Amino acid sequence: MLFRRIYQFLLVYFAGISGLLLVKLLVGLSDYVIPGIPLIFATAGETAKGYFFDVLNTLQVTVLGQVISIILAFTVGIAGRKSSWIGSFIKMIAYNIQAYPIVALAPIIFILLGDGFIPRLLIASMICYFPLLLSVLGVMSSPVKDIEHFYIITGKMRWQLEVKIRAFENLSKLATVISGSATLAMAGAIVAEFIAADAGIGYSIRIALYQSDLAKILVALFMIGIVISIYQGLLESASERIQKAWAISSGN
Amino acid sequence: MRKNKVICGLVLLAILQLAWGSRADARELTYRLKWLFNASVAGDIYAEDKGYFTKAGLQVKIKEGGPGKDAIKEIELGQTDFGVASADQVIRALEKGAEVVVLFQIFQINPLQWIYRDTLPQITALSQLKGKSIGITFGGNDETIMNTLLAKGGIPKKDVKIYSVRFDFTPFLTKKVQIWPVYRNSQGVILKNRLQAEGENVRFLNPADFGVNFVANSVITSKKMIETDPDIVDKFQTALLAAWRDAMAPANQESTLASIAARDKDNNAAITKLQLLATRELTGTQNFGSIDKDAWIQTEQIMLQEQQIKRPVNIQDWLHK
Repeated sequence: MLFRRIYQFLLVYFAGISGLLLVKLLVGLSDYVIPGIPLIFATAGETAKGYFFDVLNTLQVTVLGQVISIILAFTVGIAGRKSSWIGSFIKMIAYNIQAYPIVALAPIIFILLGDGFIPRLLIASMICYFPLLLSVLGVMSSPVKDIEHFYIITGKMRWQLEVKIRAFENLSKLATVISGSATLAMAGAIVAEFIAADAGIGYSIRIALYQSDLAKILVALFMIGIVISIYQGLLESASERIQKAWAISSGN
Repeated sequence: MRKNKVICGLVLLAILQLAWGSRADARELTYRLKWLFNASVAGDIYAEDKGYFTKAGLQVKIKEGGPGKDAIKEIELGQTDFGVASADQVIRALEKGAEVVVLFQIFQINPLQWIYRDTLPQITALSQLKGKSIGITFGGNDETIMNTLLAKGGIPKKDVKIYSVRFDFTPFLTKKVQIWPVYRNSQGVILKNRLQAEGENVRFLNPADFGVNFVANSVITSKKMIETDPDIVDKFQTALLAAWRDAMAPANQESTLASIAARDKDNNAAITKLQLLATRELTGTQNFGSIDKDAWIQTEQIMLQEQQIKRPVNIQDWLHK
């Protein structure tokens, strides 16, 4: 799974670069608009090491942000699964927060939390959590009638059991959404760094954009792609193992 | 299979569009600004509003600028014919093989300056920057200019507190940072006004006062355009210069403000008037539009020293005669 993720990324990346180079060649563009291969390599030689550590810095925020958003999404999803007033109120809050553009909320976040690690983490979590929430709400709001019916008529149904049944029956779906949310957490962390931080790959991309340096941006995108492919590949492998282990323990 | 053909067709169309775009129709010219419609582009708005281009026999569409908009790239891609770019953009582009020519220089004084409260003593010597907290946009022009000022003042970076600037002014307003970079004729006016309302006065640190003349925005076009359509370039330049000159004339102030108000969606009449006055000071009155060759050469030297470019581009060869 891990290697498949990496070579799939490399295929997409080099297809993209080839497309750009084709346009450069056909239209006769300078290195300012689309950098040529020698410039890309020269830039990679100068920046790859620094950008690699920048991406690792961003990855720290990504992993933590993803964990927070998973916890948040499950908390809100479980609390909001009922069609009660409280449930619909929680859903309304969750939807509204998502509707506000992060750029508009950012100044408030920075006034309250300063500009450092915490605001990056918060923004990464905010961007990552909503798709997770939708999936969790979908799973938690859908009764597994065959199984739940038994516990209901025997009077043993509790909310913890209901959550367990619904999560277990949709384990594959939840695992896919959680591993897929890694890219969203990474995107969230990069957006946060782009807006305000003074560290991470989003910050480096912002500097490169100030300098209209597409070669640097291409190197940064390569580093982001490689690291997120590895991270996502590891998450998928882990989720496969967990699913297998659960299947064995349940006797399926 | 059919889907693949459609995708291939779309890609081919996009490439053809790019290629075709480079053959700009001289009768329908486009002019890409560097920033949004406000008082800092008063002359450009005035030119369109008062029909300067039409009188010169040109049909020009002015396109608003903004973050992510790059006139040099658009000129090379054939998406625009004329544009506004900062000196560092021009020099970087030339280093990477772009062929752009500077037609005239809008600002004789760079609007990029630093604002500070008058509770600080007036900065008359660069040595006074020692120990101060200074805002810098890493990767931006202000970083290059401030580095040059510090080097000129013999101040090691460890002797000042550098603060990474982002898009809002909170660190300056909350006094976390003492000296903050602003565009003198836009944000500078707004901040000054806001602080004055709170009973605070401000001053501006102008790098030119300390011998650092880093050129700001200029009107550019492609070398190809100058070679193939010199008449159009000449007419465009003459019309735009005349519009800028008239827009900056005190006698036309009300008319200019009305033109800006019609375009600036966030127009605040009092602020716009102050911004226009500040813009007038920066464009100069005697030498309006002239290219400060020495300043361009100094800008290139600064960029070389700061390793913003790796090789000289001989900028003087790309300044329109």
